[in-house]
This record gives sequence, C-alpha cells and structure tokens, in this order.
Amino acid sequence: MNYNWDWRVFFKPTGIGNEIYLDWFVTGLGWTIALALSAWVIALLLGSLLGVMRTLPGRYAARIAGAYVELFRNVPLLVQLFVWYFIVPDWLPEPLEDWFKQDLHPAISAFISVTICLGLFTAARVCEQVRTGIQALPRGQAMAAYALGLSLPQVYRQVLLPQAFRIIIPPLTSEFLNVFKNSSVASLIGLMELLAQTKQTAEFTANLFEAFTLATLIYFTLNMGLMLFMRWVEKRVRVPGLIALGGK
Amino acid sequence: MIAIENVSKWYGDFQVLTDCTTAVQKGEVVVVCGPSGSGKSTLIKCVNGLEPFQSGKILIDGTSVGDAKTDLPKLRSRVGMVFQHFELFPHLSIINNLTLAQVQVLGRSVEGARQKGLALLERVGLSAHATKFPGQLSGGQQQRVAIARALAMDPIAMLFDEPTSALDPEMINEVLDVMVELAHEGMTMMVVTHEMGFARKVADRVIFMDRGAIVEDAKKDDFFGSPRSERAQAFLSKILSH
Ligand SMILES: Nc1ncnc2c1ncn2[C@@H]1O[C@H](COP(=O)(O)OP(=O)(O)OP(=O)(O)O)[C@@H](O)[C@H]1O
Ligand SMILES: [Mg+2]
Repeated sequence: MNYNWDWRVFFKPTGIGNEIYLDWFVTGLGWTIALALSAWVIALLLGSLLGVMRTLPGRYAARIAGAYVELFRNVPLLVQLFVWYFIVPDWLPEPLEDWFKQDLHPAISAFISVTICLGLFTAARVCEQVRTGIQALPRGQAMAAYALGLSLPQVYRQVLLPQAFRIIIPPLTSEFLNVFKNSSVASLIGLMELLAQTKQTAEFTANLFEAFTLATLIYFTLNMGLMLFMRWVEKRVRVPGLIALGGK
Repeated sequence: MIAIENVSKWYGDFQVLTDCTTAVQKGEVVVVCGPSGSGKSTLIKCVNGLEPFQSGKILIDGTSVGDAKTDLPKLRSRVGMVFQHFELFPHLSIINNLTLAQVQVLGRSVEGARQKGLALLERVGLSAHATKFPGQLSGGQQQRVAIARALAMDPIAMLFDEPTSALDPEMINEVLDVMVELAHEGMTMMVVTHEMGFARKVADRVIFMDRGAIVEDAKKDDFFGSPRSERAQAFLSKILSH
C-alpha cells in the first residue's frame, strides 16, 4: 500500500478560527466524556431503583420494572435515539417544544436527547445487574436483617445493596465502558463528539488513517483508564468472604 | 410469653404446618426437634413473622404476630433470632454487625451501641475480633457473634434454628456453652436442635414435630423417659445412637 503517513496533520490549522485539528479531538473527547458520565449517572440511579423493584415482594413493582427492561433492552439503541430526538420533542407542551427546538443551541438539544436516551437504555441493563446481585445473596441475609427489626428500606440500604453492589462491580464496569462506546451514536444526530470529530478530520484532511488511529488510541486509553479505576474501586471496597460475580 | 394457637400454613397446596399449638412461658427453654422437613424452621420463623401463616394465632407478650396492624419491625426487634448459617453481614466488621440494628432500629447512639457491642463480645469471648470481618472468623466464632448480635437488642425471648448443625463437631460446644449460660440466666428460649445433650441439660420442655404437626409436647423428663408416640421413639433412638 502506498500511503503517506503524516502525523503532523494534527497540528495543522483547520482554517476555522485558530484551531488545529488536535483541538477538534480534544473537544470531541470532552463531549464524549460529558455524555457518557451524565448518561451513567442516570443509568446508575434509575437502574438501581428498577433493580430493587424487581426484587420487591409485591407483584406490581416487579412487573413495572420488568416491562421497562423488556422495552428498553429490546428496541435498538438507534431507534430509541431517533425517538428521543425527533419524536418526543413534538409531544412536549408548546413553550417547552419551542425552547428545545429553537432557543437551545443545537449541540445542547442533541446532548440532552442522547443523554436521556443512553441513560434510560443503560438503566435497563444496570437494572438486570442489580437484580442479579441482590438475588445472588443468600436468602438468610434478608431474613436476618428483618429479624433484627430493620424495615424494608433499611434492609436494602444497609444489608442487601452494599453486598450486591460489591459483587456486581465487574459486570457494572463493562456496562460503564459500553456507555462510552454507545455515546458515539450522538454523531448521527450531529453532536460533535469524538467519533464525529474523527470523521470530520478525515474528510477535511484526507488523512483518514491517522485520524482513526488517533481515535482508536484515545478510546483505548479511556477504556484502560476506566478499567483500572474500577479495579481500584473494587479493591478498596473488598471485604473478606464476598466474591464478585464473573464479568462478561 | 410466646403463645402459638392452632397455627396452620400452606405453601400452595402443600400443608407445612398443621394445627400447631404450644406455648413458651417466661424464662422457659423449649427444645423443638423432629425429622428433616417436619416444619421446625417454618414454625420458628412464623413466631417472629418471617413467614406468614394462613390460620391460627401467635402472640408474643400479648402482641399478635399475624395481625396486619402489628408493627412487625418493632416486634421483631424484641425477639432475638439465631440462624443455622449465622447470617452475619459479611460487609460489616464484627462490631458493626452488633451496632447496626441498635442504631438503626432502637435509635441508640453510635457510642452507646459500641459499648454494648463490645461488652457482649467480651461475654462470648471474642473481644479480640471486634474489628475483623465475619469471613475471617471460624464457624463457631461467627455463631457466637450472631448470638451476641441478637442479645444486643435486649430481646425478651430468643429463637434458635439449628444453631450448631452447620458447625464442625469441635466447634459445637463453644456455641452450646453460650446458650446454656443464657438459659441459666433465665432467658426465654425456643430452640430447634438435635443436640439432645443440650436438651437434657437445660430444656424445660421438648416438642417433637413430624409432618408439620406437633406430635409430642412434654416435660423434658417425660419426653426422655417415655415419649408416647412411636415416631418420637424411633426418632430419638436414631439420633441418640450416634
Ligand atoms: N418456600 C417454600 N416453598 C415450598 N415449600 C417449602 C418452602 N420452604 C419450606 N418448604 C417445605 O416445607 C417443609 C418444612 O420445611 P422446614 O424447613 O420448616 O423443615 P425443617 O423441619 O426445618 O427441616 P430441616 O431439619 O431440614 O431444617 C419441607 O417439606 C420443605 O420442603
Ligand atoms: Mg430447618
């Protein structure tokens, strides 16, 4: 193959403002991280709530959470994104709709759509992990907690969840990494996150290979960093006798 | 103290408890024995409302367990329970296992709960292990901690569900010793166990269950002297032979 690698391309001016191409990658990375972290916060909070609901003694809470999981896990992410971006805003009350479509910066409205979409999509997956974690605990744990007089919320808060979360750190880590990968769907509705910036650089410079190599390196480093961070968390909260469930 | 009146319970079509009636007076030690699957655990779990039952009545110190208006957490906090598999909370240190419910349920101060916890650990001979985690203790030690955890709530009665049957033989006595001491101090106790030595030593009455029913409910001496039912006799000769 006769390709002229030219790594200096990243330091060349883009012609837009004073930016060099590397700046685009930095901006893109910023969006990717912002998206993934905000979606993850939603996913973790909502997913934990749903996961708890699936294990409650009553029928209704478990059914509602179950239906949620079926819906959000089985509809493709892209379809969900288009629903959140193109359809849901039309259902908003008039002033809110105008605000979302006209007053907001397009990047911000895209950001909100992707965050909600990714957060709710991932919540369904977190829910199943949390449920698995709770159900993996010996039944006697909840019994012992109730026998001491703890109320249902206390049993979850003090006894079940602290153990369940510890044993599901490995599968939660892979969900966390998935959020970063999935955040690239944002490029399809014009949000200039890392993948979109990479494509744009490739188009502007014709240095396609360099652009995608750099993007790969950034995603890889990000992944490694997060994995090391989660390992560290896992080690910090480890207690003797509680063994993590296998990741996948 | 504990009154069980005509209690029946079903799992679907399967009847686990059939018309069980008995009582444990204040300060009394009652041993419950019987073959596997006879409903001993189920009965004892009904006593503090861990298992619901469909008919009959259980009163603890006058409070009805099955009544929908009863504040179950409050009732349970007054009845200690010890399980076959200890069920210490593995993510909490030993001392925190002892303080959790004192603080969360009884609203005691953290420091007060700690002092109480340490005193009870001293009593079961485990002061040195206060900051360890359950996973670092032997089975016998964990069960003694579990007893201390129940006692920390100042219970009016204690329930034991086969507290020594998951233990290696050499650890059984250290747990039984604690229970004997408790019995001598006048604690009201209902104990599911096959340790007939323990029953002989401290029980006031022995209840024999079979297929969900209370077949025998007799004073200790009568039970060991001449149990009336054939099944109880067969059961006794089986477990006493080894
Ligand atoms: N959740 C449940 N659903 C259906 N059946 C159950 C359930 N729990 C217990 N059983 C059945 O109820 C019967 C009584 O069980 P229980 O645990 O009370 O017996 P046990 O006398 O304590 O026996 P063991 O000595 O083995 O502990 C058994 O036949 C058991 O299979
Ligand atoms: Mg049992």
